[in-house]
Amino acid sequence: MRYALYLGCTIQSEQFGYEASVRETLPRLGIELEDMGGVSCCGFPALNSVSKVGWHYLSARNLAIAEDMGLAVLPLCNGCHLSFVETKHFLEKDPELKNIINMNLEKEGLSYRGDVRIVHLLEALHDEVGTQKISEKVVKPLGGIKLASHPGCHAIRPSDLQRVDDAENPQKLDDLIRALGAETFDYPEKIDCCGSQLAVTSGRVTLRIAGEKLQAVKSYGFDGLVTTCPFCFKMYDGRQRAIKGALKDASLNLPVFYYTQLLGLALGSDPTSLGLQVNRSPIDDLVERILE
Amino acid sequence: MASNINEIEVRFISRMLTRLVGEMNATVCEQCGKCSSACPVSKEIEGFNPRQLIAKVSLGKIDELLRGDAIWTCTACLKCKERCPEDVSPYDVILILRNLAYRAGYSYPAGYDDFIKGVKERGFISRPQAVRTRDGGKVSRGDLGLPEVSGPRDMAPFNVVLQGIIKAGGRT
Repeated sequence: MRYALYLGCTIQSEQFGYEASVRETLPRLGIELEDMGGVSCCGFPALNSVSKVGWHYLSARNLAIAEDMGLAVLPLCNGCHLSFVETKHFLEKDPELKNIINMNLEKEGLSYRGDVRIVHLLEALHDEVGTQKISEKVVKPLGGIKLASHPGCHAIRPSDLQRVDDAENPQKLDDLIRALGAETFDYPEKIDCCGSQLAVTSGRVTLRIAGEKLQAVKSYGFDGLVTTCPFCFKMYDGRQRAIKGALKDASLNLPVFYYTQLLGLALGSDPTSLGLQVNRSPIDDLVERILE
Repeated sequence: MASNINEIEVRFISRMLTRLVGEMNATVCEQCGKCSSACPVSKEIEGFNPRQLIAKVSLGKIDELLRGDAIWTCTACLKCKERCPEDVSPYDVILILRNLAYRAGYSYPAGYDDFIKGVKERGFISRPQAVRTRDGGKVSRGDLGLPEVSGPRDMAPFNVVLQGIIKAGGRT
């Protein structure tokens, strides 16, 4: 398995814990990653709101680079993944727009054919590596730890496009959590939104939406929350202190991890290689429990 | 070529308008409210209601929607799209309205200008920054052994296209 690794704006600019843990863990599972040169933003969340054509141009441009590399593309962000899938689907149905986009890509020596395979991290881990192989490689099982699965909206919806898991009952991230020896169970708010896309309009409402979910997760007895989406992580981890303030809930302390950070701990990776120092939520006690 | 892209954009806009005023009549949406009951914003902001938004579209009150804040108050969670039994998809309608509002020069959240500026200047919304660690320090990509980030090799052809698309609307 070899993929063109697409990071996108948010991960490469600030979500270093995700990128570092992906680069550390995927090769241990036999996945080779090749960096993409010359890429740009996927078009979400800015361009699709103001220029649908500009959005498809940006996504097609990145997909053309992956096609040039002759590899399937692995966008780590839920938003980028859906953006690519939507553009691929849309340009299949609109050859005229595809032609115009290609005439413009030609100036950069690029051409978009439309046959690139777009793979989500959860698909690479769950469908291609498989939970069996992952659990066989675990040397530090996360026994007795209860983790809430948060796949994120754009990984599972809309179901009329190629998405990663069932729109109403996603289980792949749960299976992957269990493969590490941890416990997980369904909870009513599992497929609810983190609210991050509202930050550009109303920061206050965003904090409430994210905070109410964190409170719920905590009330069910989970020890932590796991995701693979940089937008969601940014809300639940990076903004957790602001959420506590907004909700006036001083007891709201919940460790938040990227799945690949926990995967790394379970596989015996050096903790310093997983970017755990940039998680802002209180993860230290839980990490200590895992490493004991 | 940029003018070509622009023509396509205009054609796109007219196609979107056709969808809104032509296909979106009162009989398409049953006003069942599954969208609003799924909407995380409806729970928090009084007056934000995807079901009512669709009703306004079918009544032709598009200009009112384009001038208002509501279309910019969506988290893009896609639950309304997923659960709509009639395939109306308030989310898609909201995106169309946003595109129209931008093109028409109506107001939109200032944050979008920063996003677009970033993409035009370097290919990405944001640039790599030093981020805070839990113990109060700061680390850069390099500190964590992450490789340097690469953007478009030649910004000129990239920007010609983006200018053509974006210039016709908005403030940037």
